[in-house]
Amino acid sequence: MWIHRHLTGICHLSKEDILFILDRAAYWREFLEHSPKLSNALSGYSMVCLFFEPSTRTRTSFEMAGKLLGMHVINFSLEGSSLEKGESFRDTVRTIARMKADVLVVRHRTSGIPEYLATFLPCHIVNAGDGLREHPTQALLDLLTLRRVFGKIEGLRVAIVGDILHSRVARSLALALRKLGSEVIVSGPPTLVPKDAEALGATRVFPVEKAVQEADVVYLLRIQRERQESGYFPSLREYAKFFGLGEELLEEFQRSVVIMHPGPVNRGVEIAYSLVEHKASLIEEQVTCGVAVRMAVLEILLCEGKVR
Amino acid sequence: MTRRILIQRGTLVLPDRRTFMDGDVLIENGRIARIAKGITDPQACIIDASGLLVGPGFVNLHVHFREPGEERKETLETGARAAARGGFTTVLAMPNTSPPLDNPMIVRALALKARSITFTHILFAGAISRGCQGKEMAEYGLLKEAGVVALSDDGASVESSRLLYLAFQYAQYFDLPFILHEEDQELSRDGHMHEGTVAFLLGHKGIPRVAEDSRMARDILLALNTGARVHFTHLSTEMSVTLLRFFKGKAPLSADVTPHHLLLTVEDVPRLGNSTKVKPPLREKRDVEALKAGVAEGVIDILASDHAPHAPEDKEGSFADAAFGIANLEVTVPLYVKALVEEGVIDWIELWRKLSYNPARFLRLEDRGILAEGKVADITILDPQTEWEVDVAQFESKGKNCPFQGWSLRGWPVYTIVGGQVVMAERRVVDGEFC
Repeated sequence: MWIHRHLTGICHLSKEDILFILDRAAYWREFLEHSPKLSNALSGYSMVCLFFEPSTRTRTSFEMAGKLLGMHVINFSLEGSSLEKGESFRDTVRTIARMKADVLVVRHRTSGIPEYLATFLPCHIVNAGDGLREHPTQALLDLLTLRRVFGKIEGLRVAIVGDILHSRVARSLALALRKLGSEVIVSGPPTLVPKDAEALGATRVFPVEKAVQEADVVYLLRIQRERQESGYFPSLREYAKFFGLGEELLEEFQRSVVIMHPGPVNRGVEIAYSLVEHKASLIEEQVTCGVAVRMAVLEILLCEGKVR
Repeated sequence: MTRRILIQRGTLVLPDRRTFMDGDVLIENGRIARIAKGITDPQACIIDASGLLVGPGFVNLHVHFREPGEERKETLETGARAAARGGFTTVLAMPNTSPPLDNPMIVRALALKARSITFTHILFAGAISRGCQGKEMAEYGLLKEAGVVALSDDGASVESSRLLYLAFQYAQYFDLPFILHEEDQELSRDGHMHEGTVAFLLGHKGIPRVAEDSRMARDILLALNTGARVHFTHLSTEMSVTLLRFFKGKAPLSADVTPHHLLLTVEDVPRLGNSTKVKPPLREKRDVEALKAGVAEGVIDILASDHAPHAPEDKEGSFADAAFGIANLEVTVPLYVKALVEEGVIDWIELWRKLSYNPARFLRLEDRGILAEGKVADITILDPQTEWEVDVAQFESKGKNCPFQGWSLRGWPVYTIVGGQVVMAERRVVDGEFC
């Protein structure tokens, strides 16, 4: 039974909640294989995408998901908004919600914003990434991808490699994987893989080679240039050499390892140029699963949520 | 094919086992083949070591060989010859050269050159920060691949606490230890000597003890918080010893001292002049006493040189114009014998541990610092009795900037063997074949 009004974080979901979403998402994933893709499951409902941070895939994915379900989708653009005229954040979102939007999809650079909005807005809130904290639909789409490849999540060993410290993807994914009974390994530069990350239920393994060797899934995180500027590692070439996934590393430990990445990819940094389109790469499947998962989330929040 | 070497009738020093043993040492193919009493080998080249101490070669964590960039002061070649004469079979060259050793390409080139020099093993410390500027982290992974065995910004202290905090974490991935020069440059700015009455009367700005102490305190705490392996070099103050004593054992901390900080004080500066200008500055009697107590207790577990050679022109002129630094690589060991063994601070075994076994362990040089069969034949033979005078004119080093000129000392290394090759015999560097 679904009891949640919002989707603000994996941390609030039970194993059953996650499986409930994944089952529905699997249905929509099949649906996406067929054209024309017609559904009016949510026709008449409206969704506003409020992205206070740049985004291509997540915003487009939500928009696509909403439209495929027959929703009205509005993209709020920060540029030219009244926020630029000095309106407070609280008033801006209140105004939009007052237009009777049914779902508000929010991305914001401050951790905790979705929960804050949920305290005073009347609509459903979907977190599309808040600060360093959570990105729940990303974790769900990753799980859907894994379930399609491996058949189950339980017992898988997933190595998340890179900037764990600043990654909301790592936080949501590790929490979700642990809830579903898989083993999570984190690795990367020690400056970006703090001991505190063990609070996710993950094990720290150094060096990266060892983490990769032990894993069924290697999940690479995008490394941001500003992390070098803030001194967490010395250079991109050093990062690529010691912490990036290269072809030799993959060949050396070749079993049936698969590669995942939330995108956007820095080819040649966290992942070798050629590995992005390698047969072991699930990166494109992740993108497709993203649409299916978001369709499922919107459908469940709007239909199941009502039952309550 | 080099000949076998047989060292006969010496008193063997076994620092790892903290004991002496009478016996002979046979060297073959660069390694110690046998250690036993009464070895005979008619084909071998014989070194008569009766009355001498024979132990694992000395390892020096702190020398400046000035290459690249300041070859007029020292080169790898002249520095290595000085090391051989000083009894050092391994030295760690500091990275504050010009350009500094912050780039793997430079380290590779230098390491290649060092391998062709047989007088000592020259190892390199890489820079902690780019350009030794204390702002951005250098590429530790790439530097280690190029050959560095430790990290240091020696010559300066790392300004940014954040950089050091992150560097301490990051370097653990590559298992690289740090060697820290502790000096708050804001506090030492414009200073030429120890802050106190002598400086005041001479009209010089002083370098206060707290310039060192405050950085020691900060960096000990950073080490404690990160678990990094941190070594503090050339301690000069009483408080440095107190701080280290308090925290030692709570983190992998170690420290070294120099001979000049044990034998001279600021009171010697007016008399001896520019040759005593050094960083950290020569301090007071109570600091010397504290440093010796630290050595005795093991708080200071390594003895190094901070060999800082300069060309004569760098040390000319007024005290204020002279460069900082003392050239002492060839007299480091007899100076320590005077300051520590003759004063009863530590015994010969402990001296040997601090000059050889302990620094070799710090750098994880598994087959050095131990006199045992199968180990690399890096051996120093020392004469504990005969007195000789310090004569800078005989220095192999280009640096003659040594305040100990004319001192009569005992405990000189008389043979140095590096990788089974005799590179110094009877206090002279061996050019060509020894026998």
